[in-house]
This record gives sequence, C-alpha cells and structure tokens, in this order.
Amino acid sequence: MLEINNISAFYGNIQILWDVSLKVNEGEIVALIGGNGAGKTTLVRAITGLLPIASGSIKFLEKEIDKLPPHIITELGISHIPEGRKLFTEMSVHENLEMGAYSKPAWKKKHETLERVFKIFPRLKEREKQLARTLSGGEQQMVAMGRGLMSIPKLCIIDEPSNGLAPMVVMEVFKIVQELRDQGITILLIEQNVRHTLEISDRAYVLENGRVVMEGDCATCLASEHIKKAYLGL
Amino acid sequence: MEQFLNIFLGGLLIGGIYSLVSMGLSLQYGVAKVLNIAHGEFLMIGAFVTYWLQQSGVEPLLTVVIVGPTMFIIGFILYRTVFTSIRLRSAHPGIYESNSLLAAFGIYFIVMNIGILIWGTTPHSYTYLNQSISVGGALFTQNRIVAAAFAVVIGIAFYLFLTNTRTGKAIRAAAQDPATAGLMGVNIDFVLALCFGFGAAMAGVAGSLISICYSLSTAMGLGYTVIAIVVVTLGGLGSIPGSFIGGFILGVIGSAVSFWEPGLTVASYYVIFIVLLLVRPKGIMGR
Ligand SMILES: Nc1ncnc2c1ncn2[C@@H]1O[C@H](COP(=O)(O)OP(=O)(O)O)[C@@H](O)[C@H]1O
Ligand SMILES: [Mg+2]
Repeated sequence: MLEINNISAFYGNIQILWDVSLKVNEGEIVALIGGNGAGKTTLVRAITGLLPIASGSIKFLEKEIDKLPPHIITELGISHIPEGRKLFTEMSVHENLEMGAYSKPAWKKKHETLERVFKIFPRLKEREKQLARTLSGGEQQMVAMGRGLMSIPKLCIIDEPSNGLAPMVVMEVFKIVQELRDQGITILLIEQNVRHTLEISDRAYVLENGRVVMEGDCATCLASEHIKKAYLGL
Repeated sequence: MEQFLNIFLGGLLIGGIYSLVSMGLSLQYGVAKVLNIAHGEFLMIGAFVTYWLQQSGVEPLLTVVIVGPTMFIIGFILYRTVFTSIRLRSAHPGIYESNSLLAAFGIYFIVMNIGILIWGTTPHSYTYLNQSISVGGALFTQNRIVAAAFAVVIGIAFYLFLTNTRTGKAIRAAAQDPATAGLMGVNIDFVLALCFGFGAAMAGVAGSLISICYSLSTAMGLGYTVIAIVVVTLGGLGSIPGSFIGGFILGVIGSAVSFWEPGLTVASYYVIFIVLLLVRPKGIMGR
C-alpha cells in the first residue's frame, strides 16, 4: 500500500534521513521505532508532503506521491495524526473533528463519519461541546485520533500516541489502534514504547540516526539482542 | 444622568465603529500576521469613495456594497502578491512579521499620498440623517445610530460566518495553528489572503460609515490604525470577539476622557496600550 524506496531528506543542509526504505501492506500494523531524534517524525513529514525529499521515491496505492502537496495526499487517503496531538485548543471537540474532514470529499460525509468516530470514542460524544484544551491528555489523544479518522483514511500514520500519557491510558490507546486495524484501516505506528508496540504490530522497522538498522516481524525483533539491550532495558 | 447617557451611549456608538475597524485588523494581524500600518488608509479610501458617490447622488449607506467587495478584492490581491511572497521568502515567522510590517509602511505612504493627490488635504463633509433623537434626554444624531447599528450587524454576521461555515472554521483553525490547519488540508495561503481581504473590507466599510457622521480628511487613517492596534491588544491578539468587545470598551473610555479633557483622548489610548502591555499583554479575551 505504501512503498518508500531509498529516500533521503534534509533540514537545511543537515541530512536527517539516509537511504530509508519501508513498506506497509494493506491491513497491517507496521511499527516504526527508534529513540528521540532518530528521524521518525521527519520520515512522517516526508510521507505526508510537509518536507520535500532529496532523492528516492514514495508510492501510495501504486501512485507516486512524493511531489504532491499535503492536502492532496490527505485526499488520497493518508491521515497523519501528529506528534504532540496538535489540537485546535480554542475550538470545541466537535469542531476539531470537523476540521479533520476539511477536504471536500470528506466534508460531504462528515455526519456519517462522525457517528463512526463516536462509536470508537464514546467519551468524545460526551465532551463534544467542550473546548479541546479542557480535556485530559488521554482524551486529547483520542480527539487527535478521531480527527485523523474524519478524513476517511486508508492509511493512518500515528506519531507517538502514547507519549506523555498515564500507563492506564497508554493501554487504552494501543487497544484503539488495534480496533482501527480491525475496522480495515492500515496503520503505521511510530512509538518509543517499544514493548507494547511490538506486541500489537505485525512488522517493525528500527530507525537509528536516520537509517533503518533492522526490519522484520515483531517476534524476531522482540527476540533480538540489540532490541533487548537498546530498547527494552534487559 | 443625561450627562452619563451622553458619555456612555456616545461611547458605545463610536465604539461600534472601533469594533469593526479592529476586527479587520485582528484578521490581518492576529491571523495573517501582518501588522498592517496601512489599515486606516483603507478606511480613509472607503470614506472618500462613499463621499464621492454621495456627491454624485448615491445613497451613502448603499455604497457599502461597492466599497466592501472592492476593498476585499484589493486586500486579497495585495496579500497574494506582496505578503505571500514575503512569507515564502522568510526563513522564519519573525522575519516574515518584521518584513511585512515594513511593506505595510510602504503601502501606508503610497495609499495616503494617492488620497492626498485626489482629494487634497482639506476636510470634507456632507449631511445625511442629521436629525437628533433623544435617549433619556441625551441627544444623538440618527446617522451615528445607523452607522453603529450597521457596524454591529456586520460584526455579528462575520462572527456567525466564522463559527458556522467550513471556510470560517478554517480561518479560526489557521489563526490558532497554521501548520496543523495545513495538515487538515486547509490551503493556508488562500485562507490568509481571505483574512487580509476581509480585514481591508471591514476597514473600507467602517470608513463609509464614518463618512456619514463625521468630516473626512486624507490624514484620518493613522489615528484609526492606532485605535485598532490598541483594541486588538485589549481584546487579545487573534480573538475576533475580543476585538468586537474591546472596540466598545475603548469607545466608552475615549468618550469619558474627552468629556473631561478632549486633548487627552488619544493620549489615554496610548496609556491603556502601555498599561496593557505591562499588565496583561494577552488582552481580556486572550489565552
Ligand atoms: N524543523 C527542524 N529543523 C532542523 N532540524 C530538525 C527539525 N526538526 C527535527 N530536526 C532534527 O532532525 C532530527 C530528527 O528529528 P525527528 O524526526 O523529530 O526525530 P524523532 O521523531 O525520531 O524523535 C533531530 O536531530 C532533530 O534535531
Ligand atoms: Mg518524533
């Protein structure tokens, strides 16, 4: 579904991504793990058209997308749930969700999509009229995820959803990610919570200093000495 | 009592105009991040176009349907040409804000001098709806009441537009976080140009409304720009309701001060501005 081939990307003249390749098949949860500053968010920004790539190619559903602007990529079916949630804090939960459906095709169907999102996140329906900034961290993450679903995506890229949340809430977030997959949405999950991520994902990529240093199915990754030492603290 | 009504209601009437001018600047400065020093010049042009049309027999209130859309188009194009290219060329937002301030200064001089070339420097005025109405003994001319009512209706209509339409919501989202709004598929350059256009339209229409009650001069613009900057700071940068309410507050304060000592009115605005910056830079409705 998503095919990234040998891309490199820069901020100014500092190279951040080096020859990165990654594939996501339909129906999978693919994990992208790596420490702070590894280049995970940079990779997401390259996929979603926020950062131009210097070389390589990105294909989505067999179509080259690496020169398209962000709003077209959103319309093609990639949704980006950004790191740090990035809610419109002075707008209501309802309006935040509506903004997720901003693209014309999604806007036409926003009422039905909203019902679907409220089924997944019943708590958001209770909070519908509240300003986003008055919600707890966990609830805000749910708004961010709900907003990401409002564009009716085929692929959801979720950047560090568990960051800064209490352990109980983290479990809830991971459960929802699985639920989304069960509903037919393909997921690229970016995380630093390596153990839980590998437990719910199908395959994983490990990014270090802007390079993919390991890839494979999650069981293999969990068993690897490198992962155990560097990410699981064993 | 009569005296109080005179000051208070008089303040609210001029406050309605201040609200409209300031909502316009709030869109340009709070959302599009251009501290538009030329804002009052759009007001001056609006006022003179209405004056001009009135002299050739057009009903002054009807001129707003010409002035508003024309100013909108001029503002929109100005943003798409001058400010968009400054934005795209600026390495970071700080550079964009300072460069666009300089560009706005240039526009200020150009527009004001065009005004002087056409209309000279002597004040102009005409009479329209100048019978007085008594409110509890205090007298107000009809034209002031009509002008304030128009300003309030436009303010409320714009607020409903912002809260109830897809484009209005995109403007509010872009005001809070342009990058994330872009992520949602909002075309940021287009939305910011819209904001700048709406801002110019509001200034122009405010000018039309001012022309039906007060005399005009080509030097009138800057004073309104200063008022708008104070009101936008008072209301909270980027808060449209804040500018709306702030306009009335400043109107009443100005009215009270000028009752006491007319020469101190403008000075009192600066005092409010400085005190705000020191005590509550976020303004009354700011976050
Ligand atoms: N806007 C930016 N400008 C310059 N450098 C950046 C910018 N954003 C991130 N970087 C740098 O790029 C590297 C990768 O960052 P990032 O992709 O955010 O990592 P991760 O998401 O894996 O924590 C880091 O060294 C970071 O300092
Ligand atoms: Mg990151």
